Parts: sequence; structure tokens; C-alpha cells
Amino acid sequence: MPVVTLSYSRLQKLVGKVSKKQISELLPFLGLDIESEDKNSVRVEYSPNRPDYSTDIGIALGLQGLLGIKTGALKLNVRKSNRFTINVKSGVSKIRPFITGIVATNGKIDQELLEQIIQMQEDLHMGIGRKRKKSSIGIHDLDSCSFPLTYTTTTRIAKFIPLKSTQESSISEILENLDVGREYGHILGNSGQVPILIDSNGNTVSFPPIINAAKTTVTTKTKNLFIEVTGINKEDAEDMLSVVATILQSARFTLEHVKISGAKNSSPKLVQRKISINPTVINQMLGLNLKSSQIISSLKKSRLDASSKGKNIVCTIPAYRFDIFGPMDLVEETALGYGIQNLEPTLSPSQTLGQISPISSQLKSLSQIMIGLGYLEALNSSLTSKRVLYDMTNRNSNKIISVLDSKSQEHTILRDSILPGLLENLSRNIHESYPQKLFETGTIFLKNNIIDEKTNLAAVCAHKEANFSEIKSILQAALKIGFNLEIETRTSSHETFQEGKMASILVHGKTIGMIGEINSNTIENYKIRVPVVGFEINLSGLIFD
Amino acid sequence: MSQVFHEIEKKIISVLKIELKLTPEKLEKLTLLSPDQVRRGIEWLKHKELAIVDASTNVEYSLGKNGLESFQRGLPEKRLLDLIKNNPKDISDLQKELGSVFGPAMGLAKKNDWIDAKENKIYLKNYPSNLPGEKSLKQIGEGITSETQLDKADLASLLKRPNFLVENIVKTKKISLTKTGQSLDVTSPGSGAIDVEAKVPDVFVARTHPLKDTIDEIREIFVTLGFTEILGNMTQPSFWNFDALFTPQDHPARELQDTFYLDGISSKEIGTPEQIRKVSESHKKNWRYFWDINEAQRMVLRTHTTCVTIKHLAENKSDEARIFSLGRVFRNEKVSYKHLVEFNQIEGVVVGKDASLRNLMGIQREFYKRIGITKIKFWPTFFPYTEPSLQTMVYNERLGKWIELFGMGIFRPEVTKPLGITKPVLAWGGGIERIAMLKYGLDDVREFYNNNLNWLRNVTKCQ
Repeated sequence: MPVVTLSYSRLQKLVGKVSKKQISELLPFLGLDIESEDKNSVRVEYSPNRPDYSTDIGIALGLQGLLGIKTGALKLNVRKSNRFTINVKSGVSKIRPFITGIVATNGKIDQELLEQIIQMQEDLHMGIGRKRKKSSIGIHDLDSCSFPLTYTTTTRIAKFIPLKSTQESSISEILENLDVGREYGHILGNSGQVPILIDSNGNTVSFPPIINAAKTTVTTKTKNLFIEVTGINKEDAEDMLSVVATILQSARFTLEHVKISGAKNSSPKLVQRKISINPTVINQMLGLNLKSSQIISSLKKSRLDASSKGKNIVCTIPAYRFDIFGPMDLVEETALGYGIQNLEPTLSPSQTLGQISPISSQLKSLSQIMIGLGYLEALNSSLTSKRVLYDMTNRNSNKIISVLDSKSQEHTILRDSILPGLLENLSRNIHESYPQKLFETGTIFLKNNIIDEKTNLAAVCAHKEANFSEIKSILQAALKIGFNLEIETRTSSHETFQEGKMASILVHGKTIGMIGEINSNTIENYKIRVPVVGFEINLSGLIFD
Repeated sequence: MSQVFHEIEKKIISVLKIELKLTPEKLEKLTLLSPDQVRRGIEWLKHKELAIVDASTNVEYSLGKNGLESFQRGLPEKRLLDLIKNNPKDISDLQKELGSVFGPAMGLAKKNDWIDAKENKIYLKNYPSNLPGEKSLKQIGEGITSETQLDKADLASLLKRPNFLVENIVKTKKISLTKTGQSLDVTSPGSGAIDVEAKVPDVFVARTHPLKDTIDEIREIFVTLGFTEILGNMTQPSFWNFDALFTPQDHPARELQDTFYLDGISSKEIGTPEQIRKVSESHKKNWRYFWDINEAQRMVLRTHTTCVTIKHLAENKSDEARIFSLGRVFRNEKVSYKHLVEFNQIEGVVVGKDASLRNLMGIQREFYKRIGITKIKFWPTFFPYTEPSLQTMVYNERLGKWIELFGMGIFRPEVTKPLGITKPVLAWGGGIERIAMLKYGLDDVREFYNNNLNWLRNVTKCQ
């Protein structure tokens, strides 16, 4: 989850009359988790569904609402203007078809605001932009762009001076040599043509979604901004634009319209939506009995507009709140505005009778029996390694089920047997006193048509005198006492066990597992200094389905 | 100090009261105890200050190869002197007669001025009354003799000679009773008592795993709250783990770096055609992207147990239900003291017309109360498939801070409607290891899966 750093003094300036303590106590009630905090600042984690919280400006809007300093929806005032136009050429349709944009003038950008804007841009790219694939933003110094602009395509040999550079590079060079090029170049595919935004003088403004031109770099001296968002779908691009527009208007910029046309593109609307909801639904869902006026005031505290219309409440949702899909979202907004801390938990008496799953209950009985027989319960991961499952025990490994791209070497393969894990456990405890007796019940995975999940029981017993008859006695007792099952053992062979000292286990003539003395090579591999005996049986099909 | 004695101690005391000072070996013979029993008994008595152990080091000698030869045939110099006692002899004859000891014999005789040599002949000058070393040689003979029984000066002359003596250093212990020890009466009638205050060996109980204990406790709490347990597979098609829960296919949680995909395994049977159609429509309409059935068919290790409950609800469409699912879930994380790739989760739902957020909070509060956590609060949060969404924060006294536990919410209509679920569904869930960590005071979650016997054998069961 993304994290944003907030300075208390800046937040206080943005919010109005509020103490540090109040801010720190209220942040969680906006859904922000405090990561760390010191005297001057606080780091909070926010949900990617609220990209407006990627800046302190957006968070200040939320705080103002909860505190009642400013409530209701923030309305975007976009000045109509014909000064700024973008013409879109059809070439972009197959690569990155849509562009939208807005102009923000007469602002003041200090270092802190600049940092917040850059942070917001990064977070938008990562979150709703899906690593720039879905949509990406370019923020430019308006005064370095000569309108009208053209969003078109160019070849990979075209050149311009990219951001943070003083030298011209070709598109190919940018894609090969710059970090951003290498990271996001794949979005453009292998086409010879790439999207490019150029101004009326033929200067490159940006090469979306990779990098802006150095010429339009925003600094603390910049007064007027031009924001463009490109993407693979018009609505998503406009959603992203609405967040930036909202934040810039709140940072006291004046917004001005950008006219866009050509190749199915159109000017951004950034309109508010209306959703109607029945107050009864809200009260039912929350378990409250609020009057319409209370619901309206709660929604306003969540920075939405609301008013009564007949029996219903009509709620007006600003463009940047595209996380709101329907009435249930308004139930949450009401709860937040009302204050989660004001919701008193209640316990309605249960009308249902609870029941433990029969499998859980049988596994519990089996555990009790194994414990009665002196065995300690172990727990191992089902996702384990080739080393533990196959290499150390020389087991046949032709039906491995592995996961893709595991971050941990020790967790790459689903276990098809429990016993190897228990042997590994013994190897980690060779300095503890003997006898050591362990058992485990758990799921094993078998590659079949798709994957079969079965429940197994395995046990190991290690000490100087450990032998076959001891472990057979244990298994015999466990199944007899637990499930009135009689076992038979038949000579068999398997790489896990010592030749001549192992058997397959049968119940009613059906093989259910293996038992015996563990192969001396495995014992040596694990540097265990005493003999080990053990067994593993399938419980699925034996004591439950 | 307890005056109760072990059988071993009693036997040793009885013997020492008569024999006063004995080696452990003698004690073994007289008490008929094993060497190990005698050793332990001596240690105990020493510890109780009832016996003293005098340790001493003694040197013993036996004869080496040259010593034995001299013992049988006489010292070389004696043999030389005897040969010339009556008549001088030629050097060559003497060499022949004495062989390898001729040289040393000559050296000694000359040095002590016992002989004279003229024109290849050796003459006796004077015959010594006693030869240094001869006495010790005879004393040792073919046996072993302690240094204390030998004349030091006489022995010294043998020690200089090569291979004459074999030295053996012997450490001996002698055990005797202290005054208190002497005064004990170990045959009195009370002496049948045992030392009930003594330490005894450790034995280890076989037991269920501490994490299993927590799992069982939580399972039982929900059963008593009216919930029924359901089970489901750990390997699931993405459809139930993600798509059915309104998580778009390009959502970061679905990436390889967060979720374990099974290499090359897809399921053809992910749901009914209607379920698939309606879920895909909900995605297309709300998330605006191309929904790909192949993506929904890819098998994953479930990232939560919610896939089990949602599938159950979709199949049963109950109007009233309280069910829960408990089991292993997986996340592709770097393993650390905070994170495991595989952990246990419980997840439950309430279906019913009266289901409300406050009820959901009430169930949580009751659950925490029953596991002994009373200081809780609720904060808003976000999950893709619930709205509203909350998380419980519980206060941990030991760490002095609030800790996030279960998440909860009401399933979004975008989740329930396509699956034909018409009543509101309250859902909550969370990791069990976190609760178990609080319970056992652990700071490293890996401890639960280390199977470290020292910990498993010693951690307090009821906490």
C-alpha cells in the first residue's frame, strides 16, 4: 500500500484551526494507517482506491470534512477557454489512443508543493495507472508549450532532450538507456511508431507514457501548469485527470479548459454524478436509526453533497471520487461522516446452531491419540523446497507442483508428503534430548487432472533403540483406538526407507501408506546420529472422504 | 540440609564408617555398587559436606626393555666388573661378551675409576661395594613399584639410562567421611525415607502444537457463537480467489510478486456458465477492461479463505447463515519475523436480513472478549470486495501499542449480485498467527513453524 509523508505544520495551514493531536487522532478515521510519527511529521498508508489521499492537500480536504471546518463536495471551477487545444491524429489509436488535459494557472509552487505533486504523480502511476499501462500523467510548465499541441506518433529515430538531461536522445536510446525507458518501454509493444505530444513549433512536450521533454520542466519558479493524461481508455484517463485537477484547484490554481478533438478523443468533462439512496437502506446496513438530515450532514462531512428528494436522498459525487460505485459506497461514506467511533457494537442473538466440520473433529481426535502415544505435534509449511521434499530423501521428483517466482528459496514446491518435513525437523533438533517423537496431520497435494488435495498423517520416532516394531505398534494402536481399523504390513521398498526394514500398510486390503526404518543415507544427509523410524498414511478415503 | 539419604549414599556411609579411607574402586567392591553409582554417591555426599575426597598423584615404575635385561643378567657395569674381577681381559673379548652394553658399561666404570686400560687390556682397579641403581632394579623387578617405596638417589641412576624404566602417573582418590558424616546413623528407622527435596530429571510431555491450540480455541469460539465450519481447497482457480470477489484482473494483488500461481496449471471447471458470465459482466461494467477467462482459470494458492465462503454462498444461496472457514493461506512475501509465505486465516460470514455493520462489530467484540482482549476499537479501511470496510485495532499491553487484527465489512453488491446472493452478507477475517503471537508473547512469527523442540517442549500451554 502506498505511503505518504505529511508535515504537521503544512497540514495545519491547509486544514485550518486544528491541533497536531487532533490530526493524529483523526487520520485513522479517514482510513489512513499511521506508519510512523515524530514531532513534525507523520507517515500514513492509504488505500489505492483513494488516490486523492496521495497528497497532503487531499488529506486536508478529508480532515476539514470530519472536523466540520468545510463540508460538502468540492466543485471544480474550470474556466471556459479556447486558448488551449490538442489535436489527436489517428496513428495513436492502436498504441495509446486517448489523451486528456487541463491547464492550471496563477499558482505558487514551493518546494513542498512540488514534492507533493511529484509524489502524487508517482502514486497515480503505480495505482490506478497500473504502472503507467492504463494511464499516465505529464505535468508541464505551460509557458514552455506553444499551443495548439498535436498528439500523434513518431518513429523510433525521432530525437528530443528528455527530462533531467541536456542532450538530445532518440526514442530508441531513451527506451534502451534510461531507467524509465527500460521499465515502461514494454507498454508500447514492438511497433515502429510511438506516441508523442508536440507543440506548434514542432518541439516535443512529452513521450507518453515514458518521459517528458526537458523543455517543459516544472520548477519552483513555474506559475502556470499544463497537465496531460494519456491512456488506453478515455474514462480512466479522465479519472486520473480529475484527481490532479482537484488537488491543483485546492492548491489555489485557477483551472482552465483544454479542448481536445480527433481520433475519437474529446474534451474532458470532469462532471459530478448523482446517486440516489433510500435512507432505510443506510440505517439497515449500519444498524442505526438516523434521520435524513443526519445522513445528509454525515455525507457532507465525507465531502459529498446530498439533499432530500421525496423519501430518498440524492447524493452528488465529485469526479475525483470514482471509487464510489453505488449506494453501498454511500453507506460507508455516511458511516465515516457519522464517525466509526460513534457506532456502538451490538450482538444480535444467533438463530443458527454452530457446528465444527466433521473432518476437523476427527483430526482433533487423531491428534489426541497420537499425543496419548507420546508424540509431539509439529507444524510445517505445505509450500516447501525441492531440497527437503526430494533431494535429502532421494525421493522421485517427476510430479512436482511448483509455484512461479517465489521470493523465498525455501518455499517453491507444494508438498506431496509430510514425512520429509518431519525428518528435516529432527535434523534441526539433534542437540535436544532423545527420544524425539513427532507427528503431523495436514494437506498434501498430488498432480492429477488438476490438483488433488488429501489429508495425511505422518510420524517419526528417533532414539538409540528405535526400531520397526516400535513404530508399527504405534500406528496399530492409533488406528485401532481411533477408528477400530486393523492394519496389515507387507514387505515393500521405497527410497525413503531402509531396504528390508519397511512395509506398505494395508487396511481392508487397500494400501494406505508406508512404514519403516528411514534410509541411512537420509539420516546421514541430515546428520542425525540415532536410528529413525516413521510412517505416513492417507486419511482421506480412510477415515473421511 | 535434608537428612534423607539415597540408598547409594547409605551404603557408602556405612562402609566408610568402618574403613575410614577408601578409593572408589575399593568402595565399589565393598558396597557392591556400580562405578557410576559410587561416583554419583560421592558427588552427593561431597556436596552435602559429609565426605571429603583426597585426590593425589603418584608415580609408579616398571622396568623397560633394558631394565628387564639388567634385572635378569645384572647391570652392564656389574657384568663388566665381574668379567675382569680375577684377570684382566682383552677389549675385543669383552666387546664380544657384552655386546651392545659394552659401551655404556665401559663409560660408567671409567667415570667411577673402577678400571684401568693398558695395551688393549682392561684391569680392575677397585670393586665397588654397591652399585647405584641395583637396589631399585631389584625392588621393581618384574612388577610395579610406587616411587614412594624407592630410594630417590638410587632411582636417579636408573632414570638416566635409556629404556630402563617405564613411568606411570596414577591419580588416586581417597574418600573419607567428615566429622558430621562420621556421626550419621543411616540405619535408624527413619532412614527408609527418600530425599523429596532433591532435583529430579526433566521429562517432556507430548502435546498439541501451540498454534494448533490457538486455532482450536478460535474454532470453538465461533462454533459457540452459532457458526458452522466449512472447508475448502488451498489451490483455487483465480476465479474464486479474485474474480468472484470483484478484484480486477489487473489489480496489483494478482501479480506474481504477491500471489503464488501454480506453474502451468489451469482449471477448466471454474464455475457455472451463469456465474462466469455475470461475474465477467460486473467486471467489464465497473472496471472497464477486457475480462479474460484464461486469467480466471489460472490456479493459485488461495490468498485468503474468503474464496471458500463466497463459493459456498454462491452454491447455497441461503437467506440465513453463519459459516466460517479456517485454514492455510499463502502470500508471495519475503519471510521475516513479521511475514510468512503461508499462514492460517479464519474468515466468517453472516447472511441475513438483519445483518448490519453494528452487528458485525458486535460479533468481533464478543470474539475478542472470549480470547481475552477487551481493549479494542474499529477503524475504517479498504478491501476490494467489501463496503463499508473496517479493521479491528486491539491494544497490546506488552508492546504498548495498537495492533491491527481482523478486517471486516459487508460484501459489495458487485460481489453478491452476480452470484445470485440477495441478502446482505457480513464478512470478517484475519490471520491467526498474529493472535497466537500475542498469546505466547512471541516477536517472531517464524517460531511457530521452526519446530524447535526446546520451545515446543517448554512453552506454557495455557496462556
